[in-house]
Amino acid sequence: MNGSKNSLKRLISLLAAGCMALTMSVTAFADEPYNSYNYDNWDAAIPSQAGYTVEKVLSGQSMDFSKLRDQSDPLYISDTESTSLSEARDFYNYKDEELWVADTSNNRILRLDKDFKLTGCYKGVTGTSKAEGVESLPDGSGTVFKEPQGLFVTDSPTTGKQTVYIADYANARVVRATVESATELKLEQEYLKPTEALYTSKTFNPTKVVVDYAENVYAVVKSVNTGSVQFKADGSFTGFYGANRVAVTAAVIAQKLWRKIASNEQIEGMSRNVPVEYANFDMDDEGFIYTVTEVTTSTDAVKKINPAGYNIWDNVVGDEYKFGDHTDAVWDMATKKTYATKLTDIAVSSDGLINVLDFETGRVFQYDRLCNLICIFGTKNSAADQRGSFSTPNAVEVFNGKVLVLEGSKTRNDITVFKMTTFGENLHKAFELYDEGLYVEAAPYWNEVIKRDGGYTYAHVGLGKADLKNHKYHDAMERFEIANDKDDYDKAFEYYRDEWLQGHFTGIAVVVVILVVLWIAKKILDKMGIRIFRKKGEK
Amino acid sequence: MYEFSTLGWVRHVIFHPSEGFEDLRWKKQGSIKLSIIIVVLLFVAMVANNRMVGFAFNTNTVKVFNVVPLIVQSVVYFITWCIGNWCICTLLDGEGTFRKIVIYSAYALVPYIFCTYIAVIFSNFIIKEESIWFTFFSYLGLGWSVVLMISAMKAVHQYSLTKTLVSIFLTLVAMLLILFLAILLLSLFQQVYVFVYTVYTEIAYRIRG
Repeated sequence: MNGSKNSLKRLISLLAAGCMALTMSVTAFADEPYNSYNYDNWDAAIPSQAGYTVEKVLSGQSMDFSKLRDQSDPLYISDTESTSLSEARDFYNYKDEELWVADTSNNRILRLDKDFKLTGCYKGVTGTSKAEGVESLPDGSGTVFKEPQGLFVTDSPTTGKQTVYIADYANARVVRATVESATELKLEQEYLKPTEALYTSKTFNPTKVVVDYAENVYAVVKSVNTGSVQFKADGSFTGFYGANRVAVTAAVIAQKLWRKIASNEQIEGMSRNVPVEYANFDMDDEGFIYTVTEVTTSTDAVKKINPAGYNIWDNVVGDEYKFGDHTDAVWDMATKKTYATKLTDIAVSSDGLINVLDFETGRVFQYDRLCNLICIFGTKNSAADQRGSFSTPNAVEVFNGKVLVLEGSKTRNDITVFKMTTFGENLHKAFELYDEGLYVEAAPYWNEVIKRDGGYTYAHVGLGKADLKNHKYHDAMERFEIANDKDDYDKAFEYYRDEWLQGHFTGIAVVVVILVVLWIAKKILDKMGIRIFRKKGEK
Repeated sequence: MYEFSTLGWVRHVIFHPSEGFEDLRWKKQGSIKLSIIIVVLLFVAMVANNRMVGFAFNTNTVKVFNVVPLIVQSVVYFITWCIGNWCICTLLDGEGTFRKIVIYSAYALVPYIFCTYIAVIFSNFIIKEESIWFTFFSYLGLGWSVVLMISAMKAVHQYSLTKTLVSIFLTLVAMLLILFLAILLLSLFQQVYVFVYTVYTEIAYRIRG
């Protein structure tokens, strides 16, 4: 009797356990293949929430590249045309309406619409070319692209037409062309290798291109380290713009010293210290040009250049701008490689967010317009391809508030679309208001941020500043102490002290008066020979 | 003349830097118990300077707090100072005994300890613009203690000023040597311990079969 009851109990509990196990397996959810982190005020990496999460990964198939092989489709090219991306190097967001991709190894430029569906494919430009050694289009109407690596799309201020600038790498030219149809780009102007003596490089292989509002063209050219090559709209060479500097390391100083004592022959044998050319650049709505350079030192890794060619984010004048990981090179046991930050692309969105892509670690670092680190997402590809991990991240772009990362290697070619999480949305709203000085208005968003990540430094600073504006000085002090913000703490403390002194003035005055009176009374009593406190041994 | 209580003597030597220690020696005064209390107070001052200083003035990493370096910086340094000084000055015809060196050195530290406490308390009431008060007290205590220490060493060993300075320099060298040897010894003992432990595990495995 007892035994059967026990076995029934056992059966029920077993069933219950089985049900539990089943439901648990059902609730498994998609997570990032990496741990989100951020930096605190001590430069230590601390766990944080994900600001962005992978929405989808776009392959050639999901972008309808099959149209290129479909004879009934107006975009049809040939039955052998590649239906995937191939080592694409760059893409460009045109007014949040179209996404243009430089499909490098397929020698073509692609146009995608808002939903990432293919709406245009360009193998070349129509019109007569002045460049040497450029192959013609099959129908002879123009010339083809060869390994286009960079592109820039804008509305021309003079003609008002949608204009594309393409860094046609292997053809040694930058092309300006107007968009005529889904398959035709009409050549307007070519920017070729400058003939001026100032341009000393033997080759002209443009990798990236940016155009300002005056239609000046800036091209990053391979192995030209004196800055980007600048052209006027009519194709004439005007000079170099915003060169990098040599990072001052111990080795560089040592070599400088050796050069002083070495003979001319010895100097010829030495390697020269030259700055590194940019990896990429971007322009914001105000016309400032942002550059990134793949250097392991912090000198000029990320620059914001004003129209005169000077870097605004220069740490020499005492600021401390930091980009990428704060750690030095890290030795990774699993891959047996040393990882140092190598920033490869920068994208500045219309709302001032700066996204910097680290090629080595596959991470996107997002900053606000004052270079405060907002969040970090993405990771290096490990053994298996996972959503949100990259092996050759080539470019980053912001498109309708989403962050896109272009992966272009021999084995994998796709575009990863990151969308904001609730955490990220709150961060952006909070930072936007905070940067405008609207600390009180930003406070509710900071509170939402803190609910999800209690260790988020800027949230505490932001709430502290809101408290400061609301005259809650003691609360502000506590906030700043958590965030280790000494200067703001000092300010809050100053106000708090003033407030305290004003509030307790009567009490303090009374105490001081009483002390003075007592002291005078004691002096008088001493004079009269009356001792209140007798000293030891005194009679 | 000069009939003081124990604490009275401390006050006397502090406010009479040139003659105070000579008087202390002449009257054969000074308490070893008080010296130990002073060294403990030095340690507490170090901790206070680390933990209780006003937030805006705290340059230490407040994320982690480790008391061992503070023990070393106060108690261990003081003991090595006394040992080193005794070793050197025994060779240099100094007249001080070890007990006297401990007492005189400890008394000389009092201004530093006192000013550290004052600076720590002040730092909780001032803002960065007024940081001059904080630095003033820190440096005042340090300078005063250095002067007193020289005077103390001069009195305890009955040296001339030059010889005192030379002996202090040699003491610092001796301190370095002692600490170096101590660390060396520590790491050697660690290795011996590891060796013995390895032998023990080896035997233990054999016995278990």
